[in-house]
Amino acid sequence: MSVLVIGDGPVADHIRATVNSDVDAAVIVTDVDGRRGVGSIETLDDATIDAVFEQPMQRVIAGLQRAHAAGAKRIVVIVPTIGMSGGDRHAVHAALAEAARITVKSAARQWGADGITVNAVALAPEEFGVDPKVSGPVAIAPRALTGAVDPANAVTWLCSDAAAHVTGQTVVCDGGLWM
Amino acid sequence: MDVSRLEGRVAIVTGAGQGVGEGIARRLAREGAVVVVAARRAETGEPVATSIRDDGGRAECIVTDVADGESVQNCVDETVRRFGRLDIMVHNAFMGGIPHKLENARIDKHWTNMSRTGVWASLFCARAAMPHLVASSKRPAGTGGGRLILITSPSGVEGSANIPLYSPAKAAQRAIAKSLAREWGPHGVTVNCIGPVAGSPALLTAFERNPALQDAIEARTPLGRVGDITEDIGSVALFLAGDDSAFVTGQTIICDGGSFLGL
Repeated sequence: MSVLVIGDGPVADHIRATVNSDVDAAVIVTDVDGRRGVGSIETLDDATIDAVFEQPMQRVIAGLQRAHAAGAKRIVVIVPTIGMSGGDRHAVHAALAEAARITVKSAARQWGADGITVNAVALAPEEFGVDPKVSGPVAIAPRALTGAVDPANAVTWLCSDAAAHVTGQTVVCDGGLWM
Repeated sequence: MDVSRLEGRVAIVTGAGQGVGEGIARRLAREGAVVVVAARRAETGEPVATSIRDDGGRAECIVTDVADGESVQNCVDETVRRFGRLDIMVHNAFMGGIPHKLENARIDKHWTNMSRTGVWASLFCARAAMPHLVASSKRPAGTGGGRLILITSPSGVEGSANIPLYSPAKAAQRAIAKSLAREWGPHGVTVNCIGPVAGSPALLTAFERNPALQDAIEARTPLGRVGDITEDIGSVALFLAGDDSAFVTGQTIICDGGSFLGL
């Protein structure tokens, strides 16, 4: 059964191409784009806050509502780890990432009684075009695991019956970079 | 006014016309800080400022709408014009929090106010205060030190079943604090959050309407009570505002009597 994937970009495309589930499931990819709105807080303007935080966050909310309306029993929201680590000159990106990640917990609390699980998968900043160096020492430390990181298996598991009692959690899938 | 850990420092506290903001303003003023009571309405801000002055402190009210970047900038500019510096910026003001079902939530009714007063306003406060906080950190040891303190909530960590979109607004503030801690660390400015559960007017009103709520909160709290806005929450703010926390940045102190232990 195909999975409803909400979002654009390479992460969404990869999930769309690789993740299947026997359960009605939806995956929402948070629209963090490291190419836009980067800079010191001194130069931050309203248009940037709107483009980098407000509109993408409203799309996360709309995505969760769409997933719920579609009858999804497994919902996964994909975010960068920058929300947990913070990012030098990336305060607005980090705000979006963490807001999306914690919305997952609220949704899990509200929808759990209906048998709906809601979880987050957190990926390394570079998956969203964010320079990992902005996360400071966390990103300077070497990964615990070497080789390419593919989040598809974690997403597939969270979208399956095997994860029926896992909800409100964040699976960090970055090879052991952020701990 | 026999202690003066913040003597000579100037602080702005947003949303200081009542509740947690008022408690923080009173506690900082008691330690010698000049406090600007930044409130949306003079009817609430002026009495707090007057009361602080009556207690021997220094405080003035500047009417400020934190959802408006120009209003926040004006508050900071006016503070520096009147008092010559700004050392401590506390963003506490927040509006919203209507219980809702996430699947039916409306952006205009259940999100915009919280986003504007929580997330946008945190950025506005940071942007306006930054040059003055940096200047404060360049002062000789013991006479300055730029501090940005954002008031978040345990719900910003653990989510909320009753007000689901309250949590992301509060979570975003924590991420902003971590990011600015990285950005401003080289300047010696610290950025931290407090996640309080305290006897704000809103909570006390809720207790009056529903005494069982108070019982439930106190029962789940190891310390067995709700925090006092001045002595409990204000004292944590005092620590983060003063010299004792000079090596603490990017952190959230949950100040709720031990109810939430998930950090």
